[in-house]
Amino acid sequence: MSDQFISIYQSGEEQLLEKAVKDGAETMWDRKAAQKTPCGFGEKGVCCRICAMGPCRVSPVAGKGAQKGICGATADVIVARNYARMVAAGTAAHSDHARDIAHILHMASRDGNYKVRDEKKLMSLAKEWGVNTENRDIYEIAHEVAEIALNEFGKPFGTLKFLERAPELRQKVWEDLQIKPRAIDREIATILHSTHVGCTGDAESLVHMSMRTSLADGWGGSMIGTEFSDIIFGTPVPRETEANLGVLDEKQVNIILHGHEPSLSEMIVMASLDPEMQKLAKEVGAEGINLAGMCCTGNEVTMRHGVKIAGNFYQQEMAILTGAVEAIIVDVQCIFPALAKLSDCYHTKFITTSPKAKITGATHIEFHEDNAMESAKNIVKEAIENFKNRKNEKVFIPEIKSNAVVGYSVEAVIKQLDKVVNPHIDPMGTVKPLADVIKAGVLRGAVGIVGCNNPKSKHDYSHIEIMKKLIANDVIVVTTGCAAQAAAKAGLLTKDARKLAGQGLATVCELVDIPPVLHMGSCVDISRILTIVGEVAKHLGIDNSDLPVAGIAPEWMSEKAVAIATYVISSGIDTFLGITPPVTGSDEVVDILTNRVENMTGAKFFIEEDPHALADKVLGRIEEKRQKLGI
Amino acid sequence: MNLFQTIFTGSNQAVSAAEGLLKQAIEQKGRDHKVAFPDTAYALPVIYAATGIKITTLGELEGAIGIVKSLIVEELQLTQALNAGLATAVAAEIIEAIKYAMNETPYEAPCAGHITDPIIRSLGVPLVTGDIPGVAVVLGECPDSATAAKVIKDYQSKGLLTFLVGKVIDQAIEGNVKMGLELRVIPLGYDVTSVIHVVSVAIRASLIFGAVEPGKLDKHMEYTKNRVPAFVNAFGPLSELVVSAGAGAIALGFPVITDQVVPEVPTLLLTQKDYDKVVATSLEARGIKIKITELPIPVAFAAAFEGERIRKDD
Ligand code: SF4
Ligand code: SF4
Repeated sequence: MSDQFISIYQSGEEQLLEKAVKDGAETMWDRKAAQKTPCGFGEKGVCCRICAMGPCRVSPVAGKGAQKGICGATADVIVARNYARMVAAGTAAHSDHARDIAHILHMASRDGNYKVRDEKKLMSLAKEWGVNTENRDIYEIAHEVAEIALNEFGKPFGTLKFLERAPELRQKVWEDLQIKPRAIDREIATILHSTHVGCTGDAESLVHMSMRTSLADGWGGSMIGTEFSDIIFGTPVPRETEANLGVLDEKQVNIILHGHEPSLSEMIVMASLDPEMQKLAKEVGAEGINLAGMCCTGNEVTMRHGVKIAGNFYQQEMAILTGAVEAIIVDVQCIFPALAKLSDCYHTKFITTSPKAKITGATHIEFHEDNAMESAKNIVKEAIENFKNRKNEKVFIPEIKSNAVVGYSVEAVIKQLDKVVNPHIDPMGTVKPLADVIKAGVLRGAVGIVGCNNPKSKHDYSHIEIMKKLIANDVIVVTTGCAAQAAAKAGLLTKDARKLAGQGLATVCELVDIPPVLHMGSCVDISRILTIVGEVAKHLGIDNSDLPVAGIAPEWMSEKAVAIATYVISSGIDTFLGITPPVTGSDEVVDILTNRVENMTGAKFFIEEDPHALADKVLGRIEEKRQKLGI
Repeated sequence: MNLFQTIFTGSNQAVSAAEGLLKQAIEQKGRDHKVAFPDTAYALPVIYAATGIKITTLGELEGAIGIVKSLIVEELQLTQALNAGLATAVAAEIIEAIKYAMNETPYEAPCAGHITDPIIRSLGVPLVTGDIPGVAVVLGECPDSATAAKVIKDYQSKGLLTFLVGKVIDQAIEGNVKMGLELRVIPLGYDVTSVIHVVSVAIRASLIFGAVEPGKLDKHMEYTKNRVPAFVNAFGPLSELVVSAGAGAIALGFPVITDQVVPEVPTLLLTQKDYDKVVATSLEARGIKIKITELPIPVAFAAAFEGERIRKDD
C-alpha cells in the first residue's frame, strides 16, 4: 500500500519541480546544487569561528595537518563546542515557544480569546505543583500555574519541576551525573558561556553540559509547551484528517499555516470559521476557506481540530508551486526565507507574524496575542482578498492525498487501552495493557520516529521504510513532527495499515482499535513520548533505559532535532540518526556519543544512513534490551 | 524464561512425546495399522481442518509429525508463538489418536475422551441460538474441590458447556458437580493432551456448521474466533506444555484465564487470582453476555442445579 503510495506522491512532487523550472521559480534543489560539494570541515564539525582570531579549521585526521586552532582548541574541543551550541539553539527554540504558551495561559480569561479548555489537566498540574485549588476561580489557578512555569525559565534555585515526572531510577541517574537542569534559560546561557573562546576545553564536559541543557528542553520547555497547549487548546483526541498537497482545493481560498506556535494557528482556525470571513470568501468568488497545515503548527491544529495536512518541511516550497495558495501564514522555526522570493513568482502572500522571525520580502502582519482574534482576522482577510489575484493558468494541484487518524495524546492512548482492560482484574486509566504486551513479547518494543526532512535523503523515504520495517516486526511506532506527516501521507496512520504490521502488532491494533503508527503531535509533543515511556517504566518498576524502546530521527536537519536526540539519550532511550551529525572530525566525541555515553545514561547514539540497516539495528538493539530484562 | 520461549519449549516437548509414542506404536502394530476416532467423518479433525488430509494409518501419522515440526519456528514473534501453539494442538491430536489406535476404549467413565459427530451436531442448535452461551474449558487443578465445584457450578448455572481436563475432574466429583452431556459438564481426560477433544469440537463446528473448507486453516481460526465462544481456565502450576497448549487456544481465538502469575496479554492471557471473580473475568474476556431472564432452561435441566441460584420465575 504505502510503497505504491510513496511513488505516487513522489511523481506528484516531480511534476511540481518540473513546473518550478517552467515557472522560473527557484527551489531548494537549485540552491543545493549551487552549494556544490559541502565543506568537509563543516561537515565534520572541525571548523570554528567563535572568536576573531579565527576562523580556524583543524584537520579531522589525527596527526595530519593543523591539529589545533589558534587558541589551541583541538578537534575534540571544536567538535564538542559546535555540538553543544546546536543543542543550546534547539533548546532555545523549543523553550521560547513554550514561554509564549505559558504567557498565553497567564493572560487567559473567561471572556478573552484564550481560555482554559482542559480544566482537568490544569487542575492536575496545579495539584502536581502544589497550587491551592480550593474555592478558587479556575483562572486564578491558571495564572498561578502559568507564573510557576514562567519561573522555570529563570528561577535562581532548585531544578526543573517536571523532572519529578520521570521514573525514580532515572532521576537518580541524573542526580548522579549532575545533569538535572536548573532553569531553562540558564542552561542555554551556560552553554553559550562555556563555548566562548577560552572557556571549556574538554569534550566530555561539553557533552555533559549538552545533556543537561537538552533535558531543560525535553523535561522543561517542550513539556511546558505541550502541557500548556493542551490546557489552553484542549488535549487531543483521535480524529480523522487527510494529508498531502492534494488537500488544497482549487475552488476555495487556500491558506497554509506553517511554523510552530499554536497561539497563532488556533486563532487562525477560529477566525477562518467566522461567518464574516466565510462571507468574505464567497464575495471574492471562492466556495469557502480551506486551511491546511504544514510542519509542526500543522501538527498542532490537526491534532486538535483535524485540520488537513498539506505536507511536511520539504513541501513548503511545493505548496507555493501549486499556484493555488492564497497565503502562507508563518510564525517561527523551520520556515525557508526562500519563501519570500518564491511567492513572488505566484500570487501567494507570504505573511510573517512574529517579531521573532521577520523575513525580508515577506508581508509582515504582526500577530498580537492581547488582541488575538482581531489580529487573526486581519491576517485571514489579507489571504481571502488575495484569491482574486490567483492566476488559474498557473494552478496545478497534484491529486495526491491520503486518509489519516491523528490525535493520540497520552490521555487518548490510555483511553484506547482501557478498551482491553478486564474490569474484574485491573483498574482503568493506566498503561498496564501496553506494558503487558511489551513484557509478553506480543509487541517486541516501541519506537518513536521523529524529526525533519533533509535533502540529503530521498524525501520521506527513510521515514517510511523504517516505519514499515518496524511495524512488520511487531514494533509499535509513535511519531511526531515531519516524520508523522510522512506517515500520514503514506497511509500509515490509518487503521487499515495494520495489514502491514506483524501479527502481534496487528492483533494489538485490532483489539485497541488504533493504527500501527500513532501520531502524537508536534516536535514539542515528543514530551508526550517521554511521558508514556516513563509511565511504562514506572509501571514495571524499571528505568527507561531497561525498556525495549528507541528513538529515531531518520531525516533530521534542525538544531532542535539535535537537542531532542540529546535529551532522548539523556532520558535513557537509544537514539538512531539517519543523517550523520557534524561530529565525525573527532574520534573522541564520536566515541563519547556512540559508546561511552551508554555507561552514563544507559543509552547511546547510533548513526546509520541506510534506512534498512538502521531498522535492523533498532530491532537488534530492542532484542538485546529484552534479553537483558529477561522478557 | 520469556513467554514465547516457554511456548516453544512446550511445543518441542509435545512433538517429541508424539514422535516417541508413534515410534513405539509402529513398532508394535506396523505402519498400516488403522487410526481413527469413533463416530466421526473427519478423520483426525484438527489435522484434517488444517491440511485437508485424512489420516487413516499410523504410517500416515509420521507425515503429520513433519507438519508439527514445520510449525515450530523459534522466532520471537507472535505469529511463531501461535503457530507453535497450534503445533502442540496437532501433537496432542496425534498422541490421542495413538491412544485410540492402541486401545479399543482408551477412555472410561467418567472421562469422555473423543466427542462424536452426532453429539457435536446436537450441540449446534443451542450454540447458534445462544442457549449455550459459551464453552468453558477448565483445566488443571484448583486449590481445593470446593473452589473447583463453585466455578464449574457457576458456569453450569449460566448454561455454559464446560469441559474438564486433569485433576479438576476428581475435584468436581468430590465437590458434587453433576456431570453429563445434558448437564453440560463433560470431563474429557486426565492427560493434558485430552484437551484436544474440545479443540476438535470447535474445529468440527467450523467444518460442519461453518462449512469451512478443510485445509484452510486461517478460515477455521477465523470461524472459531468469531463463532465458537470458548475460553480456557487453567488452574494450578502451569507446565511448559500447558502454556504452549494455551497458545494454541489463543490462536483459535480462545482467551486463557489462569490463577498463576504469567506475562499477561490483554483480553487473551489473563491472571485472575481471586476465584470468586474467575467466572466474571472469563465471560468478560470472551465477550459472553448472560441474560438470566432470557435463558430458557428445560425443566430436566434446571433440576440438576440443586442449591444453585436460579430464580423461580426464570
Ligand atoms: S576559539 Fe580558538 S579555534 Fe575557535 S576561532 Fe577562536 S582561536 Fe580559532
Ligand atoms: S520535524 Fe524538523 S523540520 Fe519538521 S517542524 Fe520539527 S524541527 Fe522543523
